[in-house]
Amino acid sequence: MGLRSWLTVFVAIVSLGWSLSSAGERLVVYAVNYPLQYFAQRIAGEFAEVVMPVPPDMDPAFWQPDAAIIGDFQRADLILLNGAGYAKWVSRVSLPRRKTVDTSAGFSERYIDTEGSQTHSHGREGDHSHAGTAFTTWLDFHQAVEQARAVRDALSRLAPERGDIFADNFLDLERDLLDLDTRLAAIVAREPDKPLIASHPVYQYLVRRYSLNLESVMWEPDAMPSETEWQALTELREGHPAVWMFWEDEPSAENRQRLLQLGVQSVVFDPCANRPQTSDFMSVMSNNIANLKRVFVQEIKN
Amino acid sequence: MTSSFYIAWRYLTFNKVRTATLIACVTLIAVVPLALEVLLAESERQLLSRAESTPLLLGARGSALDLVMNGLYFDDEVPELVSMAAVNAVEDSGLAMPIPLYVRFHARRLPIVGTTLDYFDFRGLAIARGRQLALLGEAVIGAGVADRLDITAGDTLLSSPETVFDLAGVYPLKMRVVGVLARSHTPDDLAVFVDVKTAWVVQGLVHGHQDLTRPKDPTVVIDRTEANVVASAKLVEYTEITAENVDSFHFHGDPDQYPLSAVIVVPEDDKSGTILRGRYLEGERLYQLVVPGTVIDGLLANIFRIKNVLDAVILVVGIATVLALTLVFALSVRLRQREIRTVFRIGGSRLTVARLVGAEIAIVLAASAILCAVVTLAVYQYSGDLVRALFVR
Repeated sequence: MGLRSWLTVFVAIVSLGWSLSSAGERLVVYAVNYPLQYFAQRIAGEFAEVVMPVPPDMDPAFWQPDAAIIGDFQRADLILLNGAGYAKWVSRVSLPRRKTVDTSAGFSERYIDTEGSQTHSHGREGDHSHAGTAFTTWLDFHQAVEQARAVRDALSRLAPERGDIFADNFLDLERDLLDLDTRLAAIVAREPDKPLIASHPVYQYLVRRYSLNLESVMWEPDAMPSETEWQALTELREGHPAVWMFWEDEPSAENRQRLLQLGVQSVVFDPCANRPQTSDFMSVMSNNIANLKRVFVQEIKN
Repeated sequence: MTSSFYIAWRYLTFNKVRTATLIACVTLIAVVPLALEVLLAESERQLLSRAESTPLLLGARGSALDLVMNGLYFDDEVPELVSMAAVNAVEDSGLAMPIPLYVRFHARRLPIVGTTLDYFDFRGLAIARGRQLALLGEAVIGAGVADRLDITAGDTLLSSPETVFDLAGVYPLKMRVVGVLARSHTPDDLAVFVDVKTAWVVQGLVHGHQDLTRPKDPTVVIDRTEANVVASAKLVEYTEITAENVDSFHFHGDPDQYPLSAVIVVPEDDKSGTILRGRYLEGERLYQLVVPGTVIDGLLANIFRIKNVLDAVILVVGIATVLALTLVFALSVRLRQREIRTVFRIGGSRLTVARLVGAEIAIVLAASAILCAVVTLAVYQYSGDLVRALFVR
């Protein structure tokens, strides 16, 4: 075997060793919802395994992990929290503070307190607020960029040697998110005062960012509301004549039909908190924007 | 010469009580300073190793010694409290990793240490049996706790009221023991570790009860407005956190204001530590950031000053004992006049008598030295445990 052959073998062995060691150094990142998983995977690329262990049929905000899954979170290199009170289970478990990053902490002063919360007191000595915080922070795409930036910073702290790669990937993601932001703002700008109704109060940040004229009820897509709730909707529409209702997921045919009888069309705006079955975050948000385009450019079809 | 030792040996074994008393006196006077020296050296080692492995400790202004003794050795004396805001401030500085500590409550007279999982990594504590803390209400115990209370992973442990007169206080919390730590030969062996949030449950700041918006028993509500519900004392708070009731546990008030007894501060590097220390020296801050090693050095300096006094006392007692022993031997020579006359009659000289008495003294001293060495070795062997049991914890 000549010198060139030996050199080729040597280079091949070194390359193989390097790639194996690179694979072995993949970061393990756990996220509490899909948007964070998506952001982290886009930024880290092949250098991290990003896990979001919530089953597909559950809302990550209200899911409760068992001790084994909490153990998986504890062993991860990085734990991405959404903040704003998202995933209440986080406050009832033990997670290593050192590995945990609250991705929305940078804009915590801009959190939206939810209305209608009740306080309680134990005796007469003073009450305690259980007021909630709106937590679908990523629906304001500028906030989503800030959360992605927090993810990039955390990854760069863990693997500073790959900081440039993470920075480049973040710029791509930022561009995509800001593109969504621009498209959404342009659509809403056509008719900013258009009254809308949401089936669930999860769009607070979307409303604030894009100045939507949106009121919420508390309905579920797959459950028929009670007659009282239908009556409440009618009363709501007397002062807020909306002809479109936003749903987090496809509503049942019965709901859609009965709403149509009232002159209300249904449109899905999926917050995409959990992993979509066939697409990804950007596709879901693009679909949402396409749906919103229908709302702002089309007249109601009965 | 051999015959002198033989006769001396026979004499000493004949007068067993007197010999034993003499050996005990000499042994005691020698062993006390030696054992004290061994124990103090071990105390110093333990105190300093724990202190020197803790770079900085943040707490409320006040006694630095109380802060260090509580934060490092889980002493019962609780320093002035700080809040979680202090932890967040350290974290926000980006200069150090803060590890909160809340060492205030007890379970069967052993300290409950509320902290985060970072503490276990920081101290290098590994789980020997069971698993790490995961859910609210769980506890991981030190190896010494497991031995002393005869409990292990799967058992439960009840928190104790702060005082026996605390009749109106919070209910004790039944904690599930989920893991036992490997023995570390530090105060961690005798501590019950919980998540800091569980420590707040013990205090009653975080608690769970039935939903007051939809109470099963309407009589627990004494007043209700659109914005607030007032519950009566009849409202029972859960005393054990289970999968069924964990969702009802909630924080009252601003979590940033929740109390802690101390915060271990682990700077990124020496420079970060110096910058942080400078910040906490400025102005009228409510907090102090101490270097535990320096505080313990001060404590040890005081201990060694006391030791010097003790050494002087031992020296005086030693001289008195030597004088007493001299007197004992002198008197025994007078009491043994008949024996000495017999020695002379059989041809012995004054030197023979001196050799006999010298041999007796040599045997007594040799026996005392052996005994002293055995006791000192035993003390040395068990000095770690002795110090933990007697001084450090």
